[in-house]
Order: sequence, then C-alpha cells, then structure tokens
Amino acid sequence: MEFTLTDLTHLLPIVIVAASVLVAMTIDMFTKEADKTLGWFTALSLFAAAYVSLFFVDKTGVHLSGVVASGGATNILHFVFTFGAGVVALISMEYAKKTEMRVGEYYVLVLSSVLGMMLIAAAKDLAVIFVGLEQMSISFYALAGIRRKRDKSVEASLKYFLLGAFATGFVVYGMALIYGSSGTMALDTIRYAFPDLVSQPLFVLGLALFVIGFAFKIAAVPFHMWAPDVYQGSPTPVAGLMSTVGKAAAFAALLLIFRPVFDGAENALFPFLAIVATLSMLYGAIVAIAQDDLKRMLAYSSVAHAGYMLIGFASGEATGAAGVIYYLVAYAFMNLGAFGIIAMIESAEETNLKVQDYAGLGTRAPALAALLSLFMFALSGIPPLAGFFGKYYVFIAAVEGGATWLALVGVASSAISVYFYLRVVVVMYFGKSENRMEYSVSNVSLLGVTISAMLVILLGVLPGSIIKLIESFVR
Amino acid sequence: MTLASVLFYFFATIAVAGGVLMVTRKNPVHAVLFLVLNFAGVAGVYLVLNAQFIAVVQIIVYAGAIMVLFLFVIMLLKLGGEESVFARQPFVKTLSIVIAALIGAQLTYVFFFAAPDKGTMVDMETGVYPGTVKAIAETLYTKYLLPFEAVGFTLVAATVGALVIGKKKLED
Amino acid sequence: MAIELIYLTVALPLAGFLVNGLLGSRIKNEKAIGAIGAGVVGLSFVIVVMAFFETLGKPVAERTSVVELYSWLAAGDIGVSIAYQVDQLSLVMAMVVTGVGFLIHVYSIGYMHGDKAFWRFFAYLNLFIFAMMNLILADNFVLMFLGWEGVGLCSYLLIGFWYDKKFEKSTTSEAAKKAFVVNRIGDFGFLLGMFLILTTFGSLNFGEVFAGVAAAENVPPLTFELIAIFLFIGATGKSAQIPLYVWLPDAMAGPTPVSALIHAATMVTAGVYMVARTSIIYVNAPTALMVVAVVGLATAFFAATIGLVQNDIKKVLAYSTVSQLGYMFLALGSGAFVAGVFHVMTHAFFKALLFLGAGSVIHGMHEEQDIQKYGGLKKYMPRTYITFLIASLAISGIPPLAGFFSKDEILWYSFMNRGEIFWIVGAVTALLTAFYMFRLLSLTFYGKPRFDEAHTKPHESPYVMTVPLMILAVLSIVGGWIGIPEIFSGEHGNLFHSWLAPVFAEANLAHGAHPSHTTEILLMAISVAGAAGAAYLGYRMYSSSKKQPGELKGAAGAVHKLLFNKYYVDELYDATAVKPTVWTSRYLLWKFIDVGVIDGFINFLGSLVERLSGVLRKMQTGVAQFYAAIMTLGVAITILWIILSL
Repeated sequence: MEFTLTDLTHLLPIVIVAASVLVAMTIDMFTKEADKTLGWFTALSLFAAAYVSLFFVDKTGVHLSGVVASGGATNILHFVFTFGAGVVALISMEYAKKTEMRVGEYYVLVLSSVLGMMLIAAAKDLAVIFVGLEQMSISFYALAGIRRKRDKSVEASLKYFLLGAFATGFVVYGMALIYGSSGTMALDTIRYAFPDLVSQPLFVLGLALFVIGFAFKIAAVPFHMWAPDVYQGSPTPVAGLMSTVGKAAAFAALLLIFRPVFDGAENALFPFLAIVATLSMLYGAIVAIAQDDLKRMLAYSSVAHAGYMLIGFASGEATGAAGVIYYLVAYAFMNLGAFGIIAMIESAEETNLKVQDYAGLGTRAPALAALLSLFMFALSGIPPLAGFFGKYYVFIAAVEGGATWLALVGVASSAISVYFYLRVVVVMYFGKSENRMEYSVSNVSLLGVTISAMLVILLGVLPGSIIKLIESFVR
Repeated sequence: MTLASVLFYFFATIAVAGGVLMVTRKNPVHAVLFLVLNFAGVAGVYLVLNAQFIAVVQIIVYAGAIMVLFLFVIMLLKLGGEESVFARQPFVKTLSIVIAALIGAQLTYVFFFAAPDKGTMVDMETGVYPGTVKAIAETLYTKYLLPFEAVGFTLVAATVGALVIGKKKLED
Repeated sequence: MAIELIYLTVALPLAGFLVNGLLGSRIKNEKAIGAIGAGVVGLSFVIVVMAFFETLGKPVAERTSVVELYSWLAAGDIGVSIAYQVDQLSLVMAMVVTGVGFLIHVYSIGYMHGDKAFWRFFAYLNLFIFAMMNLILADNFVLMFLGWEGVGLCSYLLIGFWYDKKFEKSTTSEAAKKAFVVNRIGDFGFLLGMFLILTTFGSLNFGEVFAGVAAAENVPPLTFELIAIFLFIGATGKSAQIPLYVWLPDAMAGPTPVSALIHAATMVTAGVYMVARTSIIYVNAPTALMVVAVVGLATAFFAATIGLVQNDIKKVLAYSTVSQLGYMFLALGSGAFVAGVFHVMTHAFFKALLFLGAGSVIHGMHEEQDIQKYGGLKKYMPRTYITFLIASLAISGIPPLAGFFSKDEILWYSFMNRGEIFWIVGAVTALLTAFYMFRLLSLTFYGKPRFDEAHTKPHESPYVMTVPLMILAVLSIVGGWIGIPEIFSGEHGNLFHSWLAPVFAEANLAHGAHPSHTTEILLMAISVAGAAGAAYLGYRMYSSSKKQPGELKGAAGAVHKLLFNKYYVDELYDATAVKPTVWTSRYLLWKFIDVGVIDGFINFLGSLVERLSGVLRKMQTGVAQFYAAIMTLGVAITILWIILSL
C-alpha cells in the first residue's frame, strides 16, 4: 500500500476533522474557560474542512488500497456534513452557556460524529461504512445524553443507544450476507457484479437488512419510533445535528449501496422502498399535525422528509440520486435553521417549546419570526425556496422512473404537511399571547441561522446550476 | 457429514442454547454465566471456520476480561432478582416472541431451502493461513489501515461518551 | 451599458427590502430608513431612464434586448431563465413604476412619520417595487407570474398594515383577506392560461411563444380564445374589473401612500400591461378581445356611477380608479394598445397625485375621511388644493392636461373600431368622471367648513409631502404632450405612438372605417364640452350651495340609494358566492369532514399515540422494547416479502 502526498491532500477534509478532534480535546484539557474558544475552534475548523471539500470537488480518486474515495459526490456530502455541523457549532455556543452544558466533551463529540459521517460518505469498502457508522452513532448516543442531569436527556441517550445498537446489528448481519454471497467487501466489485448478484436470495436478504439498518438511522417508518423521543429529549442543537447531517450520512451509505441501481441495474428492493417511502411520508405528515411540541413536530416532519428522499431511491434513476443529494443539502439547512431558532427561544428549563408559546413572536421578535417563517415555508415546499426544488427533483425522478403514483403520494403528503408548518407561522403572527417569555438572541446563533437562511434562499434561486453540478458527479 | 460439520453444529447449539438461557434468566449472575457459555460456543464456531486468532481473542477478551467486569459490577451493585420488563405488558411479550420465532423460521427457510448452493462457498481445506495472527495483521496494517486507525477514534468517542454520561462528579 | 445593468433596478429594491426588513428595527432613525427606502427606488429610476435613452439611440428594429442573468430551472424541455426584457413597453412601465414609486416613497417619509412600524412600511414598499419590476421586466410567463404573486402578497401585507385598525364594519385584516382571496381567483385564471400556453406552444418564454403564435397555422382558434380569456380573468382580478373589482374599494383600508402606489398607479395596471404584452394572442382571439372591450366599458361606466355618491374621499378615488382601469381595458379591447398604455401612464400621474393629495387632506384633518365633514379647506392647505385641482382637471379630460390626450385617444379608437355605442357610453362616463371629481373637489376645498373649527385645526402638510405633489402636478399637465394626436402635431406625429407602436406591430386590428378629421375634432369637442359642463355642474351644486351636502341626497331618491350601496354587488356576492362557500366549508367540510372525519382520525391517532405512551411511559425501558418489537416486525415482513418473491 502506498500513501502519498496526493492522498493526503485529497483526503484533507477528513484529516482536518480528525485532527480537530484531537486538538479540541487538548484545548479542553489546558484551557480553563474553554466555552467560547472551543466553540469557535470547532466551527472554524469545520468551515475550513467544508471549504476544502468544495475546493477539491473535482479531484476524484481512490486512496489507501482503494478503501476510500475522494472528490465528486463524496465531497459534496462532506460539505453538507462539515458545513452543517459548523452551523450547529455556532448555534450551540449560546445554548451551551444557557443550559450549563459540558462544552469540552460536547464539541469533541460533535467533531467525532462528523468524522464518522465523512468516513461513510467516502467509503469504498463495507468495513469503512461500518466503522464510520459506529463512530457517528456512538458520538450521537453520548451527545443525546450530554445534559446528564436531566432525566429526559439520559433517557433519550439510553433509548437511542439500545435501539441504535439493535439497528447496527441488522447492518452487520446484512454486510455479512452480502459478503457471504458476493465474496467481497469492496463496493466497486459488488457494483459490477450487482446484476448477477440480485438473483441470489442471500444477497437480496443482505441488501434488505443493510437498508433496514440505515432506514433506522434515517427514521423511516416503521423503523422511526425512536426519533420523536430522542429528538425531544436531546439538547436542541444535538437534535438538529442528528436530524440533518446525521440523516444525510445514513443516506450517503444508501447512495453507495444503491449505486448500481442508479447505473441502471434492476431495482431489487423497489416494492420495499416504495412502501417504506409511502408509509413514512403519510405517517410523518399526519402525526405531525397532532404535535404541540415543536421538536416532536420536527421529528415527525423529518420522518416525512426521509420518505420523500426515499422516493429518489425507489425511482432508480440517476436523476433520482442527484435529487436526493440536492434534497439532503436543502433539508439540512432548512431544518438546522428551524432548530437554531428553537434553541434560541427555548429556556434553560426546556420550556417555550410548544407551538402556542410562539404566539405574538411576529411583533416582539420580527427578525426571528421572519426567519422561522422562511424555514417553515421552505420545509413545506413552497417555491421558490430550497425545499420546493428538493421535492421537485425527486418527484420528477419518480415520474421518469415510472413510479408516478409515488410522486402523487408525495404531493398529497406535502399538501397535508403544509398545515402544521404554516400553523407555526399563523400562530407567530396572529396568535394572542399571554406569557411574555424570555428568550436569548445571541449574535453568534443569529449568524448560524442567517447562514442557513441564505443557503435555503440560494438553493431556491440557483437550483438549476446546482443540480447540474451534482448530476455531473452522479453519472 | 464431515467432522467439521459435526463440530460446527455442536458449538452452534451451545451458543444458541447459551443465548436463550441467558435472556430468560431472572438472576443477573446466572445470566452472565450463560453469556460466558454463549461466548465459548461462538469461539468454537470460529475455530471450526479456521479463525484461530479471533477464537482466542473471543475467549480472552470477552469470556475472560469483559465477563469478569460484568460480574464485578453486578455483584458490587447487589442487584436482586430482575423484574421482568415484560411482566406488566404481556402483549408486548407475546408480540416479541412471535416476531422472533417468525424471523427465526424465515431465516432458516432462506438458508436451508431457498439458497443453499448459491452463496460463495469457501473451501475449508485451503489451509489455516487466513486465520493466523500474521495474516490478520497483514490485512489490518495494509489494506484496512484506514478503518483500523478510525477505530481508534471510535474508541475515543466511546470513552469520552462513557465518561461524560457515567462519571459521578465532573468538576464544573 | 445601462441596459445590461437593468437587473439592478430589480436588485436594488430587494437590497432595500433586506436592509430595512432585517435591520430596520435596529436602525430606528426614520430619516435613514426613509433615505434607504426611497434611495434605492430613485437609483432604479435613474438606471431605467438611462436605459431608456440608450434604447432611444438605437434603430427601431434593435430596441428589444434581453438581459439573461442565469438559467433558473431546467427540467426536461422547459427551461426558465431569470432574464429581463428591455423594450419600449417594459421601459415605459418601468419608468412609471420607479418614477412615481420614488415620489410616493419620498411622500411616505412625511406621511408615515411617527408610525411604530415605520421600517416595516418601507421594507414592504421596497419589496413591492422588487416584485413589480420582476413582473414588468420578465421575459417569460413564469417570472412574470412570480412578480404577479409577489405584488399580490405585498398588496395584502400593506392593506393590512395597520392590522389592528377598524375599517368599516370589520378590520383592515378582513379587507386584506378579501383582496387576497379575490386575487387568488384571478390568479387561478392566469395559471390556467399559462398551462394552456405551455401545452400549446411548448414554452413559456415570451419570444418563443409570440413567435409560435405568429407562425401558428394549425392551432385551433378556440385555443387562442381560451388562452386569452383565462389570462383576462387573471387581469380582471389584479386590475379590478367586473366581476372581480370588489376588493379594490376595500383595499383603501391601507395607508394612503399604498393606495396611491399600489392601488392606483402601478399594481392595478399590471393586468393592462399583461394584456398589452400578450396583445398578439388577443388579436388572434377576436371574441376574447370583444369581451375585454365590453368588460372594460361596463366597468368604467358602473364604477363611475358608484363614484358619484360616495362620501369617503378614498372610496370616491377608488371607484374612480376602477372606472379609469375600465377605460384602459376599453382601449385594449378596441385594439388601441398604445392608447391603453398611454392612459396607464397619464393615469399613474394624476391618480397618484389625487391619492397623495387626499392623503395630505386626511393627514391635515387628523384622519377624517368623510368629505361631508370637510369644506373650505382651500385656505388651510393651498399647495394641496392647487395640485388637487390640477389633477381633477386632468382626470376630467380638460385640455391640454394629460388626461385629455389619453382619454380622447381611447374614445376615438373605440369609435373607430367598436362603433358609436361604445363612444357614447365612454363619453358619458367621462362626464360622470368630471362631475364626481368636481363634487369631491368642491366638498373638500370650497364652501364653508363643516367641521368644528375651534376643535379641528387643519394644517398644510410638510414639504416632504407637498413637493412630490407638485412634481406629479407638473407631470399631470405636461405628461400628455408626448402623445398629441397627429391632427394637431402635424409632421412630428404622435411621439408616444411611434415609440411604442413597434411592440404592437404584429397586433394591428384592421380598422373598420376611417372617419374624417372633421369627425375626430367634432367628437373631441363634444366630449370636452360635456366634461367641462359636468365639471361646472359639480362645482355649482356642491360649492356654492348653502345646503348641507347630506340633504342633496333627497332629490336622487331610489337611484341614489342604489348607487350609494354600490348596486348591492357586495351583498349579491355575499349571498350567492361567499355565504354558500362559507356554508359548505363550515358545515360540510369543517363540521362534517374536518371535525368529523379528519379531526376524528387525527384525534384517534393522537389518542392512540398518547395512550401508547401513557401505558409505556410507566416503564421507561418498556418503550424501547416496544419500539424494537415494531422494528423487528418490519424486518419480519420484509423477509417474508423476499421469501415470497423468490
């Protein structure tokens, strides 16, 4: 095996994040007042990694005996992970201070979860996917319980750990069956042998178990039941991290294993994917209506969004893969923005999380209300914002792939979901409020949210050129 | 039936029986002891598959070190008889058993009746080399160097996570 | 140069909106906010004027240029670009919007002084200009529609700007809602038209569609008629024509500068602009064009009669606007597209002036809007009075003010292309216009004060408000001179005509008859004399009379009552459309389907989830166990499916 300077530069985003994990631990060890320093260090190193990812986006290649790849779609996903987590770091600073969270471990774990995601997206070998998945998941389990004095936080952590380990079991079992039937762990070899392999029941079973394991991570029905409890119990920025970039990482694994299908191979799992997508979209949208807690509502909304993205897989079209990546970028930032604002409004005792608590925000904090409205409009898919084009591209892919009915279900569920997103907007502007709650708006949090808002608008204003860029890497 | 097959079924039976008994025990100490049995059975299966190194590690690390740790914790905490979480929810209990049985039956069917010959069969007679320490080390330090290093980070994350949640006092 | 920079006229107002909208509450300084708000629009105006002169310097054939920013959305065969089309028509509209818009922004600095949401007002106004410029400059239907929706949204936001204020029987929010809903009906028509265009011509780009129309041989005539009618339904919504005009009078609930900018000068003319832009489609749809003419004429006449008896100063002007918009559609329907756009421009000058003048009066009279409680304001507000008089003369069609030329041209074309009846009704409407305008003028500025002079102390408005009035007054006088008919201007011809005509080169209606110059002058003289007479009558009846204006009603009797209640159209719509819809939605959709079925279903789901968590939360680990069981059930079903499909 050779390891050259080229490998190092092409893998620079991963190297930066890995080094940041260690540096962050060192800073925490030697600095007394580490809150601000660590927060900014985390954010800046993540943004640096994001910049480098985009900078090297056209440097495609495989490295280190062919177990990891760089460039192309990998780097676009790396950008989503690092930039999204950078935004999370920004919105965490004020929150950590407010809730007296342990910041040292917090930022180390955020960085280490990002490292796991980047490994998944770069993987060329099932073993790398597995290590990345564990890296990400273990960091998430701990992050969910980082407010260890609060029962809910610990409960969320434990639940997530138990069920997550269970799901990981399916992933490993699936990998074992895939290896058993194909005799290889290399994704490229599997990719070229795929058309023959799909006729083997063991391979299809392995594929299905692998997908089920990740369907748990993306919270698709019926593997979603942990999501509302865990999102609600976790600290808000962590919920934002898990529901956006964490979900994107799981989708990255699915994109890798479905690569042959996007190349044109038979979509052996189509009925499974179609049914899971349908259930997720409808269940997420319908149950979200009944939610009063914003974090729970966003949890169910994230279930529905997982369903929309699965449509892109069910379509089995290359445009579907590009649509999914576009959707991931769009969803990451509109959801992060919403969580960022919730984190600002939320009190240290985890009150002010109900939709009714937002009544009258339109007059008292017009900027926050306007931003939250923007994210809600984007999430509900109103043009010309990012969310609309995300749905548009996956639905178009479904129609092209001959699954028009799936696109119709998607449209129907979008129509349902408009209700609960816009309810927030209506309450903010027209609701009568009795309690004049306190909220803390820090400029750093506002910066993070504003960056998200700008990306949401940008993705809506320039969808054509961005989707072209992504498509050029997917084909 | 070759000797290898006989040994495989023998160890596999021990592993499965150990697992079932472990899950159904009410006394945690008994459960841990059956878990040791399960690990021993699995180690035997590894041996049959020519994975000597992993078999030994399984015994030393899992059945040895980790189990001892488990026993210490359980005995120090003086856990009494475990109250079954299913006791109050017979429905969930029934459901779980039915589903588990269903999946077991389905997998058995797939493995034994649907696809016995279609998998890639590794020839057991090719030798013992792939399972040796040397072979594993070669793979780990060349081809799988990156995942191997990454596991280091995973352990760091796990340690940090365990500390932050589990440690009794954290200086603030 | 300036043409390439045309996107700045869109970007600058957007920047103004962002700055004022995001930072306005922190800037707090009214002068700074006002300067930003008005400044960006002023800059846009400068750019548009530069682009105008640049275009003027080009040969006629090269005066259309498209500035493409980027391809916005490409899916399959449909490509939509963010691209702006600079040609004679869009330049005229852009100059009116940014020019008049700038003056109204300046005026608003004075009018909105001290309002608690000063910054929000300017942010909305800038957003409006942004959307309006998109609508005007778009080179495709999609971008135009986005602008179209955008101005509708701004209109909604601005009508309800004082959302807690009482308006008539309800609140301004209700008025805003009414405007929104009525506009939605029209937008639906626009959308249908767009889809029909897309399926017929395979594109939504203006250039491609119009080329397709010109070359179309095997497109059935009915398709053209349908497209034209659908688009016109959109126009009736936005431009307040029968039957969708009802929202405009209620829109007066918004601040007066908004009424001037959006509900008089610019947004409501969007429908006229759209029909003019798609003129080539209408020329291919003779029946639809006839419908446009009839609807325009009918609206002009009906609205004018309602305007005769209204007592709220802004209501009179609102119905006057509806009526004048009717004139514009009459022009379009008579194939006089140039005349229609010409009237858009002159109307923007004098109607904005009238509204701003009314705003000045309302401002000086401490928010009193009832003209029966005015009187004799001439001596209190001389500057407002003079400018208001000029505007009234202009709208009444007294030569040589702006309104005369544009209105006369419309009447002349309706006579030529549609016949005598159209001319007669149009001329009568002109008389009515002159009458109600001078009634309004007299009741407000002449006669004896009908308010408590000891209590109410009317005052003239500050210069920041009256200077825009003066500029608009000058424009109301000279604005028509660029469109002097050929019979007077001799060899120069009609300047406005020769500027705009190339846009409508493909859209020439065959002239029915070519009456002589004598006829033209005769008709002109009749209408001018009639308008002057009506104006004098209005002046005599309402200024010198010692009677209280309230008593004047007696003579008119039942007709007055009918007019005063606006032909009971609101009540009619309420009974035939609103009530049944509300009933259906309340009792069928809401009570039965929503409450009964959907709510029941959701309540069922909700209670299911609640009961589940209620049972399971007693034992924390129980929850996870159950979740795992459900998950495994999913796995079991998946494997079952795999087995079955083997």
